[in-house]
Amino acid sequence: MLKGACEMAMKTYKYDKNRAMFERATKVIPAGVYGHLGPGEGCMIPVSSFPLFSERAEGSYFWDLDGNRFVDYMCAYGPNVLGYRDADVDAAAKKQMEYGNCTTSPSVKMVELAELMVDTVATADWAFFAKNGGDVTTLAIMTARAATHRKKIVFAKGFYHGVAPWTQKVDYPGVLPEDVANNIYMPWNDFDAFEKIVNENEGEIAAYIATPYMHGNFIDNELPAEGYWQKIRKLCTEKGIILIIDDVRCGFRLDTAGSDHHYGFEADLICFCKAIANGWNVSALCGKDFLKNTVSGMTYTGSYWMSAVPFAAGIACINKLKALDAPKLFREKAVKLTDGLKAAAANNGFDLVVSGEPALFYLRIANDDSLFIHQDWVQECVKRGVFITNHHNHFINASLSDEDIQFTVDVAEDAFKTVKKRHPEIG
Amino acid sequence: MKDQKTMAYINLYAIFGALENLCELDDDAKALLANKKPISIGIEVKGGPGATLTFKNSKCRLDDGCKKDCDVKLPFSSCEKFNGLFEGTTTPLPSKGFTKIKFLLKVFLPLTDILTKYLRPTEEDMKNPEFFKKSTLLTLNVVAVAIAQIGNQDEIGRFSASQMMDGDVKMGIKDELYVTLRVRNHRLVAIKKAPESPRALMEFGSLELAAKLFAGKINALDCIGKGDIVMGGMISIIDNINRILDRVGLYLA
Repeated sequence: MLKGACEMAMKTYKYDKNRAMFERATKVIPAGVYGHLGPGEGCMIPVSSFPLFSERAEGSYFWDLDGNRFVDYMCAYGPNVLGYRDADVDAAAKKQMEYGNCTTSPSVKMVELAELMVDTVATADWAFFAKNGGDVTTLAIMTARAATHRKKIVFAKGFYHGVAPWTQKVDYPGVLPEDVANNIYMPWNDFDAFEKIVNENEGEIAAYIATPYMHGNFIDNELPAEGYWQKIRKLCTEKGIILIIDDVRCGFRLDTAGSDHHYGFEADLICFCKAIANGWNVSALCGKDFLKNTVSGMTYTGSYWMSAVPFAAGIACINKLKALDAPKLFREKAVKLTDGLKAAAANNGFDLVVSGEPALFYLRIANDDSLFIHQDWVQECVKRGVFITNHHNHFINASLSDEDIQFTVDVAEDAFKTVKKRHPEIG
Repeated sequence: MKDQKTMAYINLYAIFGALENLCELDDDAKALLANKKPISIGIEVKGGPGATLTFKNSKCRLDDGCKKDCDVKLPFSSCEKFNGLFEGTTTPLPSKGFTKIKFLLKVFLPLTDILTKYLRPTEEDMKNPEFFKKSTLLTLNVVAVAIAQIGNQDEIGRFSASQMMDGDVKMGIKDELYVTLRVRNHRLVAIKKAPESPRALMEFGSLELAAKLFAGKINALDCIGKGDIVMGGMISIIDNINRILDRVGLYLA
């Protein structure tokens, strides 16, 4: 089977049906496919090398409209944590469907998932559920402002906390200067800068929000410096600043107890989404007890936020992640994969830089300073059946097999050879 | 919101700067300059930009700063007054070079009229393929220079520039014309030729597409999905240039 897969992958894919569907989509949907799954924000370079619509998915794979199979390292940009259509999670969801989903009074599944989150996440004394990561990062900011009666929020440059106006930049379409007037931006990993900002804005800062490490796009991802989070934690506590960890992307992939726990500190508020329910739509804000009353008094809700099916899926997913010791599994698989990719690069004279946490590895070919070579290699991999992306971190899921990893390394090697032919300057 | 100072920089460097290209592209413009003695017009805007336009050998060149030895000097008491020149609310009064008034009236103003015809074309004019091509190429130059001015002057544009890393961006229309947007220390310069070693690429697939984009009839992200705009290299620079490009419409509308 592996041999057959490899032989097939070395052919390059065509996307006729994908393109036809995209043309159809552009007639009724802005940009055809908008947002991070679309060709623009998804940095599909060139767009002709990438699939645009999926037909089905299972485990580590998805198949596009032309029947092309991809080993998927984007995992729907994170939600696929156990494998697409995981049997245990989907069985729990189907079972709940028999009882009801979106109902006038919420299901007890909401309470059960909250109890599980509190038992699982180190800093969690309570859980509040919504749908998307941005729902709960926004709630975290509102909670910090309500609790402190302060306006200003500190961000680490390179951040991404969703798409609400407060998370965007002043030059983004539709964003007003007033939307971001209370945002203060500081370099990642620079405690001195944070201390200076705190001193210059004494009594005015409501919160510091950051991801557990810098997994921004377009840049090598950067882990926290030794002692960084501990110093931040101490100063936040001294100054009454709420420390918010946006664990939407990393949550449950580094540590099922939360990424703050992984790095040895405790957040006041922590945001989860992607990995909670293996693709079933639910997000959560968890926090410490002293903020529970504040959240209780807030006006914040949504039509589908208490739907029972995603709660049931979430319970099954988190229990399975814990049973598998998924963070350890992700690390082992990722190290094996990225070691193979680096070796394939070196075999062909390429300098492949791997950064960030292994479970969410970020790739960059450093042979030129423009990324043209990197983009060329990525598209050659995609056309051979390995879905990676240019300027975003990748994701490991628990169903990824050794055969998938070997297939990926073989594709990478073939892609490197192809790119090298176009770049004879590479030794 | 439009900033008058930014508008003045765009009017001087992008609009008057396009006279350089007009004198190369358009026969009527060339004819106006034929057999004319070299002449330089200095423009000085109080609290804003200054530059010198030199007309020599049927060509035009724009240099930074109002040169002391210019033949004609046009001073403006404010950016608003200078911008009024383009809105028809300000009449320029030379402070130097009264003997060259004839050039201003008989050559310079007709040149700007021709330029206006290309930069604010009628639908009827755009049906002429030759006119359409010249208009679009001139507009590419204007847009490129306007991007640089907005990135350097406009408050929100400066924020976009502050997010950019150094590098040359190759921007242009496939098989037609390319320009360079050079970023150094978050300052932008437009150079009217392709870069030798671009760090990023933004290529419009055709003249027709570029014309629609410049007219605000289509969106760049939409075009990327359709493959009508090709981007590559340091996408973070392109991303920020696109944000400034959005503001070009605000100033040039």
